[in-house]
Amino acid sequence: MSEPHSVETELSSPAAADGGKYVYCIIRSDRQRDFGAIGIGGGQRVATVAFKDLAAVVSDTPIVIYDPTRENVLAHEFVNETVMREHTVIPMSFGTVFRSVDDVTELLRSTYQAFSDVLDKMQDKIEFGLKVLWDRDRVVTNLERENDEIRRLKDEISRHTASSTYFARMQLGRLIEGALEEMSARYVADVHDALKQVAVASRSNKPIGDRMILNAAFLVDRAQEQSFDERVKETSRRYEELLTFKYSGPWPPYNFVNIKLKLEKAD
Amino acid sequence: MGLLSKVIFFPISGPVAGIRWSLNKVVQVAEEELTDDAPVKQELMELQMKLELGDIDDAEYVEREAALMARLREVRAWREKFGKATSGGPVRVARDADEGEE
Repeated sequence: MSEPHSVETELSSPAAADGGKYVYCIIRSDRQRDFGAIGIGGGQRVATVAFKDLAAVVSDTPIVIYDPTRENVLAHEFVNETVMREHTVIPMSFGTVFRSVDDVTELLRSTYQAFSDVLDKMQDKIEFGLKVLWDRDRVVTNLERENDEIRRLKDEISRHTASSTYFARMQLGRLIEGALEEMSARYVADVHDALKQVAVASRSNKPIGDRMILNAAFLVDRAQEQSFDERVKETSRRYEELLTFKYSGPWPPYNFVNIKLKLEKAD
Repeated sequence: MGLLSKVIFFPISGPVAGIRWSLNKVVQVAEEELTDDAPVKQELMELQMKLELGDIDDAEYVEREAALMARLREVRAWREKFGKATSGGPVRVARDADEGEE
């Protein structure tokens, strides 16, 4: 597990209020690039703003706050996916708007060294997302069938009157909870172990919803992409009956680069 | 007189101070709740997951996403009111003449 590379920049004080620029990512490029009319806000032209050998991939935008709607987020991601076909990218977080080209250039100038270092580290690295879900009810049914103690308690509860089963029920609940946690931890560890050999780094995020037991991101070397892919498929086949694998990517390394721009209200 | 006023006012000043403190606390908690967008973002991710898993259809997604966006905008308005930074939107860039490269 590696910590995200952190770049912190203090951004404040006024700037010229001409055409805004939406920034998607930072790349290394010493010539002007045009990625076509694929930008956020209805197909804006996506091009680069350069400083030395660094470039910010941007499109024109009014000075607004973008809602993270599916449409907007997909537009942001689509640009990054397009750019990363040819470049190593440092993705910007969704909704980052600069007030002018000058401001973008200033960002590149003031954080030049940090961006260069991160680009070196992320050279030819891509991210894959893996979410693992289970059907809790089915797992519980399995448990009740296979775990002797749980089965015995269930039988006891079904045979007795309400008053005497209170503690048995509590005990049953605790047993099931414990067994579920243990199983989930074992599955997660198994999946992690299978994949970490073909990944550079991994990171676990908080599971989303109550069916998810693993929400992880893996940083993978492009050269290892196929091995990683095969390993994911192999692992998901092994757990076919029990777990659902949601596998996505390649992504820019969102989870392994963390650029914090201190945002200030711009009026 | 000094002692007397203390004796007379003590029973009052005690609880009053307490009430003021807890009111401040309530205001602070309310402010934190109003300006916290993490729960909305969490719900948005859960909603996207549900769509991906086929638990909800596209129409339901669009409807619920719109509601969440309205809540996000509300949180943003409160954040501005309380002078807190908002995520997304224009970034201001500092220009410092003698600032070197970091």
